[in-house]
Amino acid sequence: MTFKFLPDVALADIAFEAESDTLDGLFEACASAVTDIMVDPSTLGKGVERKFSLESESIDRLLYDFLTELIVAKDVDSLLFGEFEVSVSPAGTSLEALARGEAIDRVRHRLRNDVKAVTMHLFGVKHIGAKWKTTVVLDI
Amino acid sequence: MPDTSVMKQVSDVSWDIPVSYKPGMNVPARIYATKKLLDAMDSGVIEQATNVACLPGIVRYSYAMADAHWGYGFPIGGVAAFDTEKGVISPGGVGFDVNCGMRLIRTNLRFSDVKPKIKELVDLIFSLVPAGVGVKGSQNFTQSQMGDITSLGVRWCAENDLAWDDDPAHVEEGGFIKGADISKVSRQAISRGVSQFGTLGSGNHYLEIQVVDPARYLDRGLAGEFGIIYDDQVMVMIHCGSRGFGHQVCSDYLRTFESGMKRFGIDVRDRDLACLPFASREGQDYYSAMVCAANFAFVNRQIIVNKVREAFSRVFRKDAESLDMHLIYDVCHNVAKVENHSYDGSKAKVLVHRKGATRSFGPGHPDVPAAYRSIGQPVIIGGSMETGSYLLIGTQKAMEDTFGSTAHGSGRTMSRTAAKREVRGAELQRRMLDRGIYVKAATMDGLAEEAGMAYKDISEVVETMDRAGISKKVAALRPVGNIKG
Repeated sequence: MTFKFLPDVALADIAFEAESDTLDGLFEACASAVTDIMVDPSTLGKGVERKFSLESESIDRLLYDFLTELIVAKDVDSLLFGEFEVSVSPAGTSLEALARGEAIDRVRHRLRNDVKAVTMHLFGVKHIGAKWKTTVVLDI
Repeated sequence: MPDTSVMKQVSDVSWDIPVSYKPGMNVPARIYATKKLLDAMDSGVIEQATNVACLPGIVRYSYAMADAHWGYGFPIGGVAAFDTEKGVISPGGVGFDVNCGMRLIRTNLRFSDVKPKIKELVDLIFSLVPAGVGVKGSQNFTQSQMGDITSLGVRWCAENDLAWDDDPAHVEEGGFIKGADISKVSRQAISRGVSQFGTLGSGNHYLEIQVVDPARYLDRGLAGEFGIIYDDQVMVMIHCGSRGFGHQVCSDYLRTFESGMKRFGIDVRDRDLACLPFASREGQDYYSAMVCAANFAFVNRQIIVNKVREAFSRVFRKDAESLDMHLIYDVCHNVAKVENHSYDGSKAKVLVHRKGATRSFGPGHPDVPAAYRSIGQPVIIGGSMETGSYLLIGTQKAMEDTFGSTAHGSGRTMSRTAAKREVRGAELQRRMLDRGIYVKAATMDGLAEEAGMAYKDISEVVETMDRAGISKKVAALRPVGNIKG
């Protein structure tokens, strides 16, 4: 699973493209990308675990909701997560996920941008050949 | 560079794109720009402004102001007014950061008073006003208070000793927009926002200590109307919005609107233009939630002002009242409001979307505070942290031409990634210090992304709107201290 940032897609915000051989891997890659925007993941510990259990009407919406949950956890509980294990249902309309991270520490963590929302711009999960792919633009 | 051959030049600073440009356009698009700004404008602005022109119930024009750049659905710097019965409301026409806006506070200090203490002052404000990823504010409001706070805005602050008596009158809409309903706001939005009052956020948000800059522009007569009496008077400007609360409101309702459009037979050219009839239940629900977020932002900026007053008081060992730290004004630049306007020979209530655009009401308007009614509403247009900002006033021409709207800032020309490739944050910080601007940033990456070269020339933007007669310059303000998230 990989992600790469797209420097010319959004002027005021940050965009990335992710891909994986599996849908689970795609969700994990996207979650990792969101974290990477907010903090240098090498400075983030894994002492806190949080489970996510979500249902949605489509794969697109499920990914949108999952990434939104990470943003909410950052604002409500001051948690950032650097490791993810995601299991998406075969229908793509529900997931169980375990995220590992820790509470924000402004001394230890090399903090970056504050992600505030997932936009719908260019958003969509695609299955192309053997790869799952998506583009995500985040409001900063 | 946009295709200007499709445009009709209306004046030296305005250009129209006719309805024949694109099938489905209900009104023309009008772009405010000098030829220089127009040639440098990204072609996405034209595409988006003309897409907005296709929305149901839009009246007169789809506008793009001089600082316009590509956004989500609506361009940033976009203005569009809609018939309240036949027209739509669009979260994309407001923006994620509902009531991102600007607040300007004066002091009676001169630059010579502040210069020797600038580091102490900026460092203290940085410690009192949290900025950056996941910050929490120092105000311990509860979720049960959120209904009153987001309903009454700065008036609630005044009733709870969190604002001076005259603060509400110096905020757009008297510090709160009517029509808030917290029951239309999700639990997630409330949870995100309740601990974020008094925080600056990050991105392009900032808190700046500024000095009047007569070398760039100063109308001493008009400036005096705002209590600006020295050529080197020190001011404070705050740029931030509704934080996670407003962002979650937008996210929640974009989802509702996208799935609701089919039911109303609405088809849009761009998914980010998701919209529903303003008169629909969902449209009204979004409006009520958006108003909550707008009032949240007014309160957020008020709490920050309290901290700024505290910092100045501690550093200069005088109370803030003795330092004359009164609000000049506070303006929204991401909002949709129901306003009375005259156009096409009659008066009507319209829903004006301003996304990266500022209200610019002229003299005599009843919504302009009494203190300024004879001259016009203060307009605050923020530039980059290297180039400074402007105070202007609204005009009767703005009422006639643009539903009382003008530009909001300088507009980005370069992506965040591209800006970081050009300059390192630490190097930029040093360069700015050499130029007399002391910057304290939560992250160096964030600082680099906000370098002046990533933005349009604020003076050109402001000059355009002044020449168009839409907002009249009063004073240029240059930065001497800056806090960034």
